[in-house]
Amino acid sequence: MIGKVLVANRGEVALRVIRACRELGVRSVAVYSTADADSLHRMLADEAICIGPPPASGSYLNIPSIISAAELTGADAIHPGYGFLAENARFAEICERVGVKFVGPSSHVISMMGDKSAARRAAREAGVPVTPGSDGTCANAAEAKRVGAEVGYPLVVKASAGGGGKGMRVVENESRLDAAFTEASREAGASFGDGSVYVERYLEDLRHIEVQVLSDAGGKTAAFPERDCSIQRRYQKLLEESPAPGLPEEARKGMMDAAASLVDALGYEGAGTVEFVYSDGKFYFIEMNTRLQVEHPVTEMVTGVDLVAEQLRIASGERMEVPPGASSVPEGHAIEFRINAEDPRRNFLPQAGPVEFYNPPGGPGVRVDSHLYAGYKVPPHYDSLLAKLIVFATNRETAIRRGLRALDEFAIAGIETTLPLHLAILEDEDFRQGGVSTSFLSERELTSAEGLLRLVPAGESSG
Amino acid sequence: MSGEPSGKRPQGSLPLEAVSRLVALLRESGVGEIQVRQGELEISVKAMPEAPGPRPASEAEAPSMEPPVEAVSPEADGFHAVRSPLVGTFYRAPAPGEEPYVEVGDTVKAGQPLCIVEAMKLMNEIPADVSGEVVEVLADNAGGVEYDQPLFRLRPEE
Repeated sequence: MIGKVLVANRGEVALRVIRACRELGVRSVAVYSTADADSLHRMLADEAICIGPPPASGSYLNIPSIISAAELTGADAIHPGYGFLAENARFAEICERVGVKFVGPSSHVISMMGDKSAARRAAREAGVPVTPGSDGTCANAAEAKRVGAEVGYPLVVKASAGGGGKGMRVVENESRLDAAFTEASREAGASFGDGSVYVERYLEDLRHIEVQVLSDAGGKTAAFPERDCSIQRRYQKLLEESPAPGLPEEARKGMMDAAASLVDALGYEGAGTVEFVYSDGKFYFIEMNTRLQVEHPVTEMVTGVDLVAEQLRIASGERMEVPPGASSVPEGHAIEFRINAEDPRRNFLPQAGPVEFYNPPGGPGVRVDSHLYAGYKVPPHYDSLLAKLIVFATNRETAIRRGLRALDEFAIAGIETTLPLHLAILEDEDFRQGGVSTSFLSERELTSAEGLLRLVPAGESSG
Repeated sequence: MSGEPSGKRPQGSLPLEAVSRLVALLRESGVGEIQVRQGELEISVKAMPEAPGPRPASEAEAPSMEPPVEAVSPEADGFHAVRSPLVGTFYRAPAPGEEPYVEVGDTVKAGQPLCIVEAMKLMNEIPADVSGEVVEVLADNAGGVEYDQPLFRLRPEE
């Protein structure tokens, strides 16, 4: 087993990794910026090193500082968490060169999956269905038009190096394609330094469903039952659940098999997630995230597998310890709520400042992953995720009731959070039915009549 | 090699391109050191002798990774602390066997190198950011230092 792991991250995910290390008897090294001197990850790790000033570019993204910290402390592995350097192929390559184990796949695989058109090609070659569209990038608008004529409209032009909606244009018909192609390409060039784009059929009314995978150096691969991450706001996931409500067994098996064959074809090592869009019984590959994901606890709750411990085992060259049955249909239901430092009553305005009172919920089937404590000051420099509340119960209906109870119990005073938004989502009739699409939130408005936050169909709000 | 701008701390962006051109020139020419000055900015690039090569982390005595929480702030009583701008290994001399850059009691000028912090095999000369007298060396030679860790205590010039 690895002896000492440097955790190149902050917040709840740094704690998650430190906790796994402690349970495995592995020493941990926290790195922190001067804005995080009073953070829990610094206090709970065996050692801690200050790596830079508050802006992430000088600290959590500062590769020389992080590598130096690993060398100074004698860490033999670096766990990148999610975000920051987790999908930075250059960082993984530097780790490989200096002989520090990067907990994740090889820099080659990270770089291939980071290039959207290369990832599509790899998926297609592994027999995984991809959204109908161009084979690789399109050189010009004329080529995009040929694809459009073949697969139909609406079409979406996407940056190959892209993400987060940048360098992306939806086109309703061919007449708009020239302009959209030029715009997307220019925006992609400006944002990512690479203007290459590809086109694919734009699917409406779809669900975002993803499959967690693990693969060890011995060639053993496990694909786990899916997570439904359709509740999103501006491409940011807010609530995730497993299993996906009402998903036909055939589709579940199809996605799990597809994810496993992609992972095998890539010679993948570690934990990863294969993301699909699902619409009308059909599913298509969107992308693969070559890291641990925020919503990994949902899978942990329904399978009983400790994904971070498995990452560390795999990084140590050991066989993973996945119990038989972990890949079959889960018994029970888990829901995760992302509690962000954003005010849902004021257009999700980011919040920073002192947490005056903090009381996380407890009781049966409740898990809270958070770096908060009373008196902690939320710094303004980083991601707004404060806590993840995960509830688990024997079925979805009970899990929703447990979620309502736990959200109600969850008290954070001093800053506004997304807690009331989650209560409103759980009260929504369509959500309770299950299987809503990614447009769930954009089709609704928030009202706060009588002080209670509620979701109503867009356009019906009176204030 | 070191490509550390000395002189007054530049307020704007560092002329990194100029530095990398100088480094390339240094490599090609095989000379030991190149210094250029333009206005208030002075850049010197120096070829490193083979040593101090990378020292294995285990050899450097276990760096005391006490977080930079000082019982008494090194800035107290009108002193000035020169802090490490990066994570790395602290060396008081330009190379093993050579004299330290400065000793306690020396008077230094702003911009004068005080020590080296090595990170990823790169030797970074750390200049004094004020002029004054060196009162105390706060870090151990060949030990690890964190970002923002106080390295020297200076009594600033009046």
